[in-house]
Amino acid sequence: MTVEQQDCVALDQFPVGMRVLAVDDDQTCLRILESLLHRCQYHVTTTNQAQKALELLRENKNKFDLVISDVDMPDMDGFKLLELVGLEMDLPVIMLSAHSDPKYVMKGVTHGACDYLLKPVRIEELKNIWQHVVRKNRGSNNGDKKDGSGNEGVANSDQNNGRANRKRKDQYNEDEDEERDDNDDPSSQKKPRVVWTVELHKKFVAAVNQLGFEKAMPKKILDLMNVEKLTRENVASHLQKFRLYLKRISGNQQAIMANSDLHFLQMSNGLDGFHHRPIPVGTGQFHGGAAAAGMRPFPPNGILGRLNTPSGMSGVRNLSSSPSSGMFLQNPTDLGKFHHVSSLPLNHIDGGNILQGLPMPLEFDQLQTNNNKSIIAGNSMAFPSFPTQQQSSLPNNNNHLVLEGHPQAPPSAFPGHQINKRLEHWSNAVSSSSSTLPPPGQNSNSLISHQFDASSSSYSIPFCDSTIPLNPALDHTNPRAFYRATDMDSSANVQPGVYYDSLQMRKSGNYGPTTDAMLSSNNPKEGFTVGQQKLQSGFMGGEAGSLDDIVNSTMKQEQSQGDLSEGDLGYGGFSSLRTCI
Amino acid sequence: MQRQVALIKQSLFDQGYLDEQFMELEELQDDVNPNFVEEVATLYFKDSARLINSIDQALERGSFDFNRLDNYMHQFKGSSSSIGASKVKTECTMFREYCRVGNAEGCLMTFQQVKKEHATLRKKLEHYFQLARQAGPKETARRSK
Repeated sequence: MTVEQQDCVALDQFPVGMRVLAVDDDQTCLRILESLLHRCQYHVTTTNQAQKALELLRENKNKFDLVISDVDMPDMDGFKLLELVGLEMDLPVIMLSAHSDPKYVMKGVTHGACDYLLKPVRIEELKNIWQHVVRKNRGSNNGDKKDGSGNEGVANSDQNNGRANRKRKDQYNEDEDEERDDNDDPSSQKKPRVVWTVELHKKFVAAVNQLGFEKAMPKKILDLMNVEKLTRENVASHLQKFRLYLKRISGNQQAIMANSDLHFLQMSNGLDGFHHRPIPVGTGQFHGGAAAAGMRPFPPNGILGRLNTPSGMSGVRNLSSSPSSGMFLQNPTDLGKFHHVSSLPLNHIDGGNILQGLPMPLEFDQLQTNNNKSIIAGNSMAFPSFPTQQQSSLPNNNNHLVLEGHPQAPPSAFPGHQINKRLEHWSNAVSSSSSTLPPPGQNSNSLISHQFDASSSSYSIPFCDSTIPLNPALDHTNPRAFYRATDMDSSANVQPGVYYDSLQMRKSGNYGPTTDAMLSSNNPKEGFTVGQQKLQSGFMGGEAGSLDDIVNSTMKQEQSQGDLSEGDLGYGGFSSLRTCI
Repeated sequence: MQRQVALIKQSLFDQGYLDEQFMELEELQDDVNPNFVEEVATLYFKDSARLINSIDQALERGSFDFNRLDNYMHQFKGSSSSIGASKVKTECTMFREYCRVGNAEGCLMTFQQVKKEHATLRKKLEHYFQLARQAGPKETARRSK
């Protein structure tokens, strides 16, 4: 890598001489920016056209270390340039604008910007921009070679996924090592951040399945997983997230399908992801949606994967169809458990965002219900509560209720026939979507993967990646759109496994075409919208909020619904999840 | 002479024509860029004149495409703030506010203000730069003194 080389070669000089490409159609600002950058001792190249900038970058990918670009440019939208640069060259990009509107900032974040500066820009702000270069390099260096391909790839294809997985794993190992070394006593010190790689998550899921979703306790899971350096707290928080995720996906199954969250897919694949699972979800529509969504990466594949499992589980539906949901649901009983899980969040999410745009909101809704039920293992559930939640967002509520019929119905008895069907559809859809995902044909995939990179180097299990705007796809219009595919706009960003996002999203209630901000927020707002571009667009928006918020809110809801969390998890422990992230 | 220049500059600040951003620009002026500030100001006035024209034309058309107007003004505001043209920036903000609520008359009115402030600033800065050039760079100024 050039940067790497540069770092090695000029370690003592960096950041002096860092090569910056400045793009701004406003000559005055460009001139000033150039001067400021010179004053910081960077090497500056300027251009007032985005196209020219792209040419310069393409002609020699190693020619620059960092790109600073204005947002409003006549020949190309700054966000689009941002995406392209991230995808093609994987360089850190800083956005510059006179717009201080948070939604623009959010858009920048979701599109993968490393930073967002407001005009008039001051020299102090530019003095530290080199940190983004270092940060990006570190991320790349950890795993695969830094070319962003690893990260980008994830969303794009299996190949990418493989790389991503490797990367995550490497990162995980590295992180774990580093962190563990630092902390002797996890409980008393700040816990090291655990990176939930696919491998690790697989183990986790297997353990949970083995124990039974309802019975899965962090301690037991930990024992079963038998992974060194993993603490009960890590597992607990991960379990919490997972549960939320399941809830979410149950609602968002549709969305998930559409998403090409490779990550999750991989996970799910590993888990025996839903790909195989027929997803009953209003297939027709869903497919369409999913297909359309392209890659709208509904919460990263991971989520999909998860969905599969939960869906399989929750809906019982899957019970018959897809035995292995990979996730917990190894067996019907598990599924039953899932069903009960009142996934407030799921419903909520679905209701709000995903469904809105989705052609099959109804179905989805139903699914959600089912999912919720199933997902929330052990809850006597709050089905009833479920509907309420959904209400907020969808008209489906009715459906929801209808489906529920007997919300209280034993888990195994998912009202589910429908659900099953839906799951089937969904899985089909998912499969199709997943297949389409890799080459979304648009930038979406790349975007997605790109996003992964952008947000954080490791997108190992979304859970952990709060920062990564996993949902590239989510934002319809939002910056988040990692995918940036134009159509992606509305659909949720397919964030790999970002179920957090979905949670958050839901929480924020932005389901609707809320703001891009939401989408762009870290929260991997799952691609609720997965295909629903319209839905999502708003969704992600501003609320993105913090995972914590969403989780907390979700948690509260869940709590009210029933006893979602198991003993030690407690929803209140979202904050702990956060740390995990 | 230097002192005169300094006084004029100070008055520009005091009267609110310029803000800290202008000072930042001055910081950037050095041996390598001895006339940086003036160059930037020239660029600005050239650019902004163009923008003002566009806005004028748009307003004259009477169609009042607020989005478009807002876009122009956004740009204008961006560069104005970059050089520290404080009053101009304020008027721009007002203009955008009128655009936001779709008040055509307000837009027209404010735009006149924008143009006025812009013209005033231009004159003052030109005068200032002229004097500054006469006073010469600080080092030489000292010598000439």
